[in-house]
Amino acid sequence: MEDERLRKVSSLQSFVSRPELGSVFGLAIIVVTFMSLTTVSGTFSAMWTNPIGIQAWVELAAFVGILAIGASLLMIAGEFDLSMGANIALAGHSFALLLTFGVPVLPAILITFIELAFLGFIMGTIVVRTGLPSFIVTLGFWFASRGFAVFLSQTLVNQSRLSVKPYLKPPAGGGEDPTLIDNIFAFDKAFGLPFDAEVYYFAILVIITAFMLHRTRFGNWIYASGGDAQAARAVGVPVNRVKISLFMISTCLACLLGVLTVMTSGASDPKAGDFRELHAIAAAVIGGCALMGGYGSVIGAVLGAFIFAIASRGINFVPFIDNNLFRVMLGMMVLGAALLNQFLRNRVLRG
Amino acid sequence: MTATIQLNGVSKFFGNIIALKDISFEAHQGEVTALLGDNGAGKSTLIKCLSGVHAPDEGEIIIEGKPVKFSSPRQAAAAGIGTVYQDLALQPLMSVSRNFFLGREINKGLFLDLDKMSEITRREMAKLGIDVADPNQPIGTLSGGQRQTLAISRAIYFGAKVLILDEPTSALGQKQQLEVLRTVNEVRNRKDIAIIFITHNDLHARLIGDRFTFLNRGRILANGNREAIDTDNLRSLMAGGAELAELEAELKN
Repeated sequence: MEDERLRKVSSLQSFVSRPELGSVFGLAIIVVTFMSLTTVSGTFSAMWTNPIGIQAWVELAAFVGILAIGASLLMIAGEFDLSMGANIALAGHSFALLLTFGVPVLPAILITFIELAFLGFIMGTIVVRTGLPSFIVTLGFWFASRGFAVFLSQTLVNQSRLSVKPYLKPPAGGGEDPTLIDNIFAFDKAFGLPFDAEVYYFAILVIITAFMLHRTRFGNWIYASGGDAQAARAVGVPVNRVKISLFMISTCLACLLGVLTVMTSGASDPKAGDFRELHAIAAAVIGGCALMGGYGSVIGAVLGAFIFAIASRGINFVPFIDNNLFRVMLGMMVLGAALLNQFLRNRVLRG
Repeated sequence: MTATIQLNGVSKFFGNIIALKDISFEAHQGEVTALLGDNGAGKSTLIKCLSGVHAPDEGEIIIEGKPVKFSSPRQAAAAGIGTVYQDLALQPLMSVSRNFFLGREINKGLFLDLDKMSEITRREMAKLGIDVADPNQPIGTLSGGQRQTLAISRAIYFGAKVLILDEPTSALGQKQQLEVLRTVNEVRNRKDIAIIFITHNDLHARLIGDRFTFLNRGRILANGNREAIDTDNLRSLMAGGAELAELEAELKN
């Protein structure tokens, strides 16, 4: 039996129903806009061809983008993590404190990752067991993480900003050289690469998570957990385990940034990562993730991170536009993107 | 011929409420057993007992001659009970083939074998008379009847010997209802699956049913095959028999 009402979906139509479509246009518009604006103000080469200018926005895109990977995976599964930014400070402080207490670099990194993974496990477990919205649960940890980080360092070493430079230098009397591990982990310095390490981690993580999301069983389960959790459970998808793992991925991504920031700057700052969770969520929304879950992509979130970074850094290259207007623009972009995505999603549902 | 599934005196209580009392009926492969009853008759509780959500408090469930006890829906599914719920347990934004294999994906190495999954989905849907042009299209593009067929063919592909259909026509438009009945007929024609068709639509039951079981207030009101129950009888049993007579008397006064 042939259903005469079954329309063939053309390749153009299936392109239109991709979640990242909106952000492709968004990125094109932002690039063209800032290329024009910098041309007018005579700063085109400073932003687009000068290595330092390029570094400025690429590195910001990578920083926000790493968080946006976690934010988009969680959002597709129908959850949020507002504590990401605070967890960067918590991880940085934990790492710096461990170094201060004489723990070698590599174990300090490992212990910090285990701590943050455990934190993600706790948050995820609270969310799936109590049924409280993750917005509320992670808001609690947004306060708690940063507060705990500063409390610990002030109590233990009576400082809120921890300098770790001495612990990342080769010891005067010989012995194991911690710079080696520093170079392997934050490898940009070792290889004389043009960007900070997070740019390369970002690239690798994007490839891994995009494949995971679209081409593996776990990725399938992420979409199903956010789309209709009850229906997913009915066919045997371990929804709770999927969500808890994603909270752990989210805290580990924050941990990666916390540790890298300490290594590149030589100090742990209690304000590290401030507001970054909101930037990451904005990038995920601009990139086409549906707030209610079940729809979105990592690639979209990556494009969203670039849109955010180009607009954020670009505004500094355009002296005749007030810096504060950047936030107005970002706000409007988030709203516009959410509207566009709602429209696109309805198209998918209607076919 | 032994029944594929047989219930002997099954009862289910929730506190002091008798949800089901002394339910006995059987379903045979290659036949549609229509389970009729009004809202609150106990149809949902009965499905839940059959599909392993609830354990019956009394009586036994026998599958292919062996008594079974399920403590989870997973066990029931493993024993060959395929339940297609009213909401179908589908993901509207995911593709047809991903829905078909959700929770039971086929892997090739680390990654999903999307080609094989699409191919099987298309083949299995075609067996029930639905031609899926592109198994990668989101399920939102399918009609209600086609989604129902997807859920049915998924249950069969993953080993259902007893297919329980929970009000498969109730949420659909007229044309799609017929589409679903056609699908049910295709499944019957396979001759290897016992279908339990739950409905409160006597018209559909009469069209497709081989055997009929009537539930009212948690008890069996009547059991019978096609010959034993004529249309008028069926309609009056649906409306609760005696209660209908009472109402008739009331309206005449």
